[in-house]
Amino acid sequence: MVVVEDLVKKFKDVVAVNGISFRIKKGEIFALLGPNGAGKTTTIHIIATLLKPTKGKVLVADYDAVREADKVRKKIGIVFQDPSLDNQLTGYDNMYIHGKLYGLRGRELHEKIMRLLDLVELKDFAHKKVMYYSGGMRRRLEIARSLLHEPEILILDEPTIGLDPHTRARIWDYIKYLRKEFDMTILMTTHYMDEAEELADRIAIMDKGKILAMGTADQLKSMLGQDVIYVAIDNVNNDINVCNIFSFAKICKVLRDNRLELVVDNATKALPEVFHIAESKGLKITEVSYRRPTLNEVFLHLTGRELRDSSELHPIPKRRMVRFR
Amino acid sequence: MSAFNAFTAMIYRQLKRWWNARSRVTMTILNPLIWMVFLGLGWGSIFNPQNIPSIPGIPDIPNVVEILRSAIDNYFKQLFGGVNYVTFMLTGVIVMTAFMGSFISGISVIWDKQFGFLKETLVAPAPRSIVILGRIVGDSIVTTIQSLVIVLLSIVLTNEINLINTPLVMCYIFIMSLGFASLGTAISLKFRSMEGFQMVVNLITMPLVFVSGVFYPVTTMPEWMKLIAESNPLTYSVHAVRYWLASADVGFEYMNPITDLAILTLFAIAMITIAAKTFEKTTLED
Repeated sequence: MVVVEDLVKKFKDVVAVNGISFRIKKGEIFALLGPNGAGKTTTIHIIATLLKPTKGKVLVADYDAVREADKVRKKIGIVFQDPSLDNQLTGYDNMYIHGKLYGLRGRELHEKIMRLLDLVELKDFAHKKVMYYSGGMRRRLEIARSLLHEPEILILDEPTIGLDPHTRARIWDYIKYLRKEFDMTILMTTHYMDEAEELADRIAIMDKGKILAMGTADQLKSMLGQDVIYVAIDNVNNDINVCNIFSFAKICKVLRDNRLELVVDNATKALPEVFHIAESKGLKITEVSYRRPTLNEVFLHLTGRELRDSSELHPIPKRRMVRFR
Repeated sequence: MSAFNAFTAMIYRQLKRWWNARSRVTMTILNPLIWMVFLGLGWGSIFNPQNIPSIPGIPDIPNVVEILRSAIDNYFKQLFGGVNYVTFMLTGVIVMTAFMGSFISGISVIWDKQFGFLKETLVAPAPRSIVILGRIVGDSIVTTIQSLVIVLLSIVLTNEINLINTPLVMCYIFIMSLGFASLGTAISLKFRSMEGFQMVVNLITMPLVFVSGVFYPVTTMPEWMKLIAESNPLTYSVHAVRYWLASADVGFEYMNPITDLAILTLFAIAMITIAAKTFEKTTLED
């Protein structure tokens, strides 16, 4: 349904998307997972024909997103990360105008609007102005609106950002329902690991404009095997490679904060050995933890930093960064 | 067919928005009323021949006063096209209202950028030129309705208005509004902030109003100002509206209601084309 090949997007001197490729199959939920500033939204805007790519090819339902933009626009429904409603109009009017912009009218349009407002439980608020809606209600209205013209592909940009846990769960239910009921192809972005894991059939982990890994949640986690041990060591001598010491680990890597990442089959059995080796080599351990790998550990493994830490990583002009260091 | 739906959708939206913001509606009517009442009546009494005998230096001989009074009165009548100053100015303020209203209506584009609704119209499959045209027509209808209210209110201040020609005048007003709403929209598409647009509005609107003949006739302007007035589309709508509403033909020699209509129509078509081309090229980067 969606083919993205070698996509590059530059804004003046900032490279937002740096050569990514992926394919989304029909009826699949595909998630772009990554921190803010990873290039997810830019990618989505290019697919939705709102930005022109600097380089690369984008096909949506076999139409080229640059040359056949209006055909692509008919096939997609999109919920933007930022609100895109007219909040001086009622929920019904927002739906009505959307329907007419997509060529619907009359009885058919009215019935569709009421059916969808019912689905997202906004029927009772249909004739209230959107400015009086809560954040969750607005998001639900946007989802209903994006479905009005029966798109083949639904694009959701951070569908649950800024919502409370209860509303999040409800939006997740809608998304699952759409897939089950209409076999809808869904492309979504998120920086919540649990969201990607809960909803997506396949996940592409994105950081700094590149896709670092792609696959099902299980495939991604299996990159790290069973357990991951994190060890903080106080007196590391930079001359020796610590990873040579802990050679029993399947994967050994030094993270950005100088912690050591050790991937093992069974952490409870491996931990005593870690202490033993450290003691014999005169290394002072200040902190130890181990976890079952989640997508966060996968992200940590791929980038050397935690997903939640990197949420403030916006592109800063180079000169300023140098001065800060 | 689907393109027509998009066209009416945008008209519906602009009208509904205007109707929902009623406080704004009263302001757009109150503002010209202030001009009309204070500036109109204030200046109007200066040009009133009744006040002439009190000027010092006129000898108090009955015949001389009469002759002078009628001579001065004739001079003003000739300047203002045979009507008194209040009528002269009111007919101009009606056009000014429509001009300001339509030009500023473009600001809703910036509003939509900030509140995100512009994305909704950018991602719609309907031809962009139709979407923007619907918007402009909607705004122009709003402006025309506002001007109609001003025309109806103006009969309180003067009895020289031919209300019978109102529908004809509204046609001129509507066509002019199409032009200026398009210009305002095209400029707004290039701006991110209201402040920036506001600055352009102030920079453009006041001078255009002053050299259009709203407050004083174009015929007595200095030569350089006449040149600007000739190339100002507003001059032609002021002339036409004054011609039909007050039967006052104040303007350059070549001006008549037909040329006015032709020039305004050409102006509107040119501006709509510019607005449509600008909107077609708009991406989220603008």
